[in-house]
Amino acid sequence: MTELAQAIVNGLQMGFLYALVAVGLTIIWGLMEMINFAHGEFLMLGMFGAWGLSAGLGLDPLLAIVPLGLAMYGFGVLVYRCLMRRVQGGDPFTQIFATIGLLFLLQNAVVAGLTSDYRFVGDSLLARLSGAKLRLLGITFGVPLLAAAGLALLLFLALYLLIERTEFGLALQATSEDRDAARLVGIRPQRMFAIAWGLGAALVAIAGAILVNFFAVYPQVGLQFTVLAYAIVALGGFGSILGTLLAALVVGVIQSVTVVYLPPAFKDAFVFASYLLIGLFRPQGLFGRF
Amino acid sequence: MGRLALAVGAVAAILYPIPLQLQGTTYYQTVGFLVLINAMLGLGWNVIGGWAGQFDFGPQVFFGVGAYTAALLFVRLGLDAWLGLLAAVAVAVVVCALLTYPLTRLRGHYFAIATVAIWMIAQPIGATWEFIGGSQGLFIPVKARASVAASALSLQFSGPTKALGYYYSALALFALTLALMALVERSKLGYYFRAIRDDQEAAEGIGIDSRLYKVLARSITAAVFAAAGVLYAFWALSVFPEQVLELNWSTLPIMATVVGGIGRLWGPVLGAVILIPISQIMSTTLGTGPLAGRGIDLIVYGLIIVLIAAFRPTGLLSLPWGRWFRRRRAATPAPAP
Repeated sequence: MTELAQAIVNGLQMGFLYALVAVGLTIIWGLMEMINFAHGEFLMLGMFGAWGLSAGLGLDPLLAIVPLGLAMYGFGVLVYRCLMRRVQGGDPFTQIFATIGLLFLLQNAVVAGLTSDYRFVGDSLLARLSGAKLRLLGITFGVPLLAAAGLALLLFLALYLLIERTEFGLALQATSEDRDAARLVGIRPQRMFAIAWGLGAALVAIAGAILVNFFAVYPQVGLQFTVLAYAIVALGGFGSILGTLLAALVVGVIQSVTVVYLPPAFKDAFVFASYLLIGLFRPQGLFGRF
Repeated sequence: MGRLALAVGAVAAILYPIPLQLQGTTYYQTVGFLVLINAMLGLGWNVIGGWAGQFDFGPQVFFGVGAYTAALLFVRLGLDAWLGLLAAVAVAVVVCALLTYPLTRLRGHYFAIATVAIWMIAQPIGATWEFIGGSQGLFIPVKARASVAASALSLQFSGPTKALGYYYSALALFALTLALMALVERSKLGYYFRAIRDDQEAAEGIGIDSRLYKVLARSITAAVFAAAGVLYAFWALSVFPEQVLELNWSTLPIMATVVGGIGRLWGPVLGAVILIPISQIMSTTLGTGPLAGRGIDLIVYGLIIVLIAAFRPTGLLSLPWGRWFRRRRAATPAPAP
């Protein structure tokens, strides 16, 4: 029983990290309905950025969030303006291919520059806390993961307020609903899309800066997280910020509970089996509405 | 494509490995083998992706199903490869139909993720199922064959003509696939697929059962992937889960299809001829230099895909080649009689 409870707690903590990766995707894919298969590569760039700032300048990954977030915001806007704007109007297939091309380009540019070696952030605030544990009712909480979960929750809250409670968020939603109608009331759709791409890239880079505290960095690191992030966004219901958070927690728990009973190779398989089951009976996702 | 071009292409494809065999550079025959396999896979993917318009990211599952079926039949029962290939195609079609029918309730992105989901579930099954060898995989023993004909009938080539034998086997399967796809393209089936892609509601309005035809389209794709999987397994003499379920078995053919022209019969063929040799040429030119093994070939792939998507999403075949060609021909003065 304790084992199961411990697995659930671990799963929830991982779920918060998955939520961070997925939330950028919710904005680009869920809200603005544009495909980004290079999302994992944005994450990888964020992780490498945090690793570089830590190894080169001794900046703690948690402090690197600010410069990385800003830089990747710019990068996201650039990707939209140079590439995605061109393919936006056409066949949705074209968006898929454009971002798959981007995936190959970014991933292998990093391989060419830095090789495929695994890299670790040695000294960071969260790593120094790694020995610290909280015990409650026989369940262990790792302090670093708890801190990361708290941070994720804060980011989600900020994003939720931004999208649901501000005029800017309304403009973003209006653009995704009906581009032409949005233009009639004075919203510039291209600008909204550029900002959405910037926000998505910045958020996933921030997720990367937090993930480097727990995972090794290498050029192919993105795929495992992206595949999960796609399942999470679809499970949560497209464009629903809170749905994404809840779905990420569900995915984290499914993974860690699966590992208790089955070989670890099956942990993703069960997430996707749940996706298929839910997708067939509730295509709008767990928390989506339409 | 004109008959002349087809004849020239066929003769070139048949003659290509012969000077290589005489020179002893059989490595380039293997490059040709990989081009043919990827062209064949691209032709298969074009049915579900290009004609039926459903984004399928998980056809490599059927590549694996095919490879495993034929290898198991050969190792356990001694069934020859070509019979194993028929069985593999049948198994893949049945598995695909059973798995895909429920998925056809999903559309667009949801369908795409569902195909990925099945691939994600297939991987740990392949790695842990002891019946098919688990993570150890299966090894296909080479049996000595008395003659070329016996080798060809059992799809087992060895010695100095190994690469040559597999090249021609791949060419035969590729030609068969191409011929079948040409038939499908012009048949009622092909029109139904494209009708569903262009407007599913309208297609259903005129009585096309969209779910049934999506299942049919993906089953054709699965059949081609299974056949290619068998060929690959007998070439590699082994079947490992991470090798036959690799993502590249879908991304490379998909990229080839897009570069050449999605939804066009010859698109995947042109794309594979352009894309696949890039890796091989890169690895020979970079040699053991500082940039060897650094994914430069994949950077070039990425760049090509991005440029195609941004400037010519309908692919290279959609460029007005005919007009350019005719204008140039018109510009050169006709020789005096």
